[in-house]
Amino acid sequence: MIRVRSLSKTYYVHKKAPGLMGSVRSLFVRKKTPKDAVKAVSLDVAEGEILGLVGPNGAGKTTLVKMLAGIIFPTSGEASVLGHTPWERDNEFRRQIALIMGQKAQLWWDLPAADCFLLLKEIYRIPDEKYAENLEYLSTVLDVKKDLNVQVRRLSLGERMKMELIAALLHEPRVVFLDEPTIGLDLTAQRAIRDFILEYRERHKPAMILTSHYMEDIERLCKRIVIIQDGAFIYDGQLDDVVKTYAKRKVITAHLRKQDGSLPERRELERFGEVLEETDLQVRLSVERPRVAEASGYLLENLPVADLAIDETDVGTIIEQIFQERREQAE
Amino acid sequence: MTPRLFLRIAGVEARRRMSYRADFWLNLVVGFAAKFGLLYFVWTAMFRESGAATMGGYTLDSMLVYYVAVLLVSQIIIGAGFESEVATDIYEGGLNRYLVFPTSYFWFKYAQRVGMLLPVVLQFFVFGGLFVLFSDATISLSGLVMCVVAIAVGHLLFFTMSFPLQNVAFWADNVWSLQVALRLTTSLLGGLMFPVTLFPDWLQAVNAWLPFHVLFGVPAEVLVGKIGFAEWLPAVALGIAWIIAVGLLDRVVWRRGNLQYSGIGI
Repeated sequence: MIRVRSLSKTYYVHKKAPGLMGSVRSLFVRKKTPKDAVKAVSLDVAEGEILGLVGPNGAGKTTLVKMLAGIIFPTSGEASVLGHTPWERDNEFRRQIALIMGQKAQLWWDLPAADCFLLLKEIYRIPDEKYAENLEYLSTVLDVKKDLNVQVRRLSLGERMKMELIAALLHEPRVVFLDEPTIGLDLTAQRAIRDFILEYRERHKPAMILTSHYMEDIERLCKRIVIIQDGAFIYDGQLDDVVKTYAKRKVITAHLRKQDGSLPERRELERFGEVLEETDLQVRLSVERPRVAEASGYLLENLPVADLAIDETDVGTIIEQIFQERREQAE
Repeated sequence: MTPRLFLRIAGVEARRRMSYRADFWLNLVVGFAAKFGLLYFVWTAMFRESGAATMGGYTLDSMLVYYVAVLLVSQIIIGAGFESEVATDIYEGGLNRYLVFPTSYFWFKYAQRVGMLLPVVLQFFVFGGLFVLFSDATISLSGLVMCVVAIAVGHLLFFTMSFPLQNVAFWADNVWSLQVALRLTTSLLGGLMFPVTLFPDWLQAVNAWLPFHVLFGVPAEVLVGKIGFAEWLPAVALGIAWIIAVGLLDRVVWRRGNLQYSGIGI
């Protein structure tokens, strides 16, 4: 449903020297500096798939989404969404997509959400029956029926986001772009939005691209992710494989029984890896994968272990490490 | 865009506009009364000091009638609070949501602008009606009909002229000065500051081919009976021709501007 080949976007930004003289000089001469926001990226997204787009601020996630939604033009490359070139902005294309930007309100603030939805019904030419059915379903699942006639600006952030979701999905889009849909929401609202997205995916099978800084969003919603840094993709594959590919260590946690004797010397533990924690109740070690069995055996043999857990490093930390390593390589 | 969608957008905007009650009433009363009060004192003083019986073919009384008409017309044509909506959308990234809608941004914004007319249209009929009741001015039905048609043309023409200037926001951060320039030029050459008959003959001859007079002068003059059908018809036709010509320019600027658009954020 979404096919992207060698898509690039370069912005030209003005640079101005600081201070009054810099401002005066900029009245006559302005220096334009190119910034490669997206660098020759390629990807495919299938029907019913939720692709997670992960990257630090300024990595190019939003730029890519904006190109695929037809908002901005690329500098080079090709993209096809439902067989259309997005930036040609055919009405047929725009009737089948939705863009939800968590940082930018799409609804009209001074109007009740119900009025906004009626306008959208007209814009997307949604038949009366379909509109009533979809509004009933979406407002029930998202639990905002009682707020439909409240002015949008008087709603809480969580309620507003739910209204934004309804507005974007009323016309049953086949492709949905979700740019930070849970940003700023409390944990309950985040969970409600995630559950809803999964349910909507089950029901309508749209292709979705999700960008988020919350790893919980990504872990809960996406099986496949693309990691983007400085405009280039550095990973495109299954979320689980990120751990296998990049997580070189595991964390061993030994919960201890009450004891009279002392713990082994710290340097004994350090033979296996980094000691994260060492108390009378618990010992935590970060150990390289090949040495996990050996380290576990040592702990079981030499400590009064009540319980032992071996965990993968969490995905967020792994991705953070990948960014950090690449940054250091670049420097 | 379908007429039904156009009306729905205009209706939503009218409702939005009326949700600000204080602004609605202030605009309705103060917007007109303050401007007319100022002009009344200026022109009364000018006629008194110069000792002239007429200026540009107007007596003091007919001049004041002209100003009532042209002020009421200009409130509709220019509108309030919409001078830089398009530029703001571009500058702040609000344009994003409209670009995703399967409809024309130009007509969406124009429909919103039409929706904002309710207070000024009320003003037109309330103050216009009061003025006719309490003065010697007479308004014919045909004059009123021709005025309404000229206002419709002028309203679309003003937006069409403002649109490419606001589109400069694709390249420049601030286009306020361009909007001021448009306001000044249209007010001066359109007959809002003075009746165009006060201009020298050569300027009147040139101005007759420009789009400005149809904005304010023509609707006001036809309303107060200063011009008739014979002058009104070519003026309105010229206005429509300018809408088409400037509309083509709008398309070119819009397309080129869109190539520059970044939609805020990377």
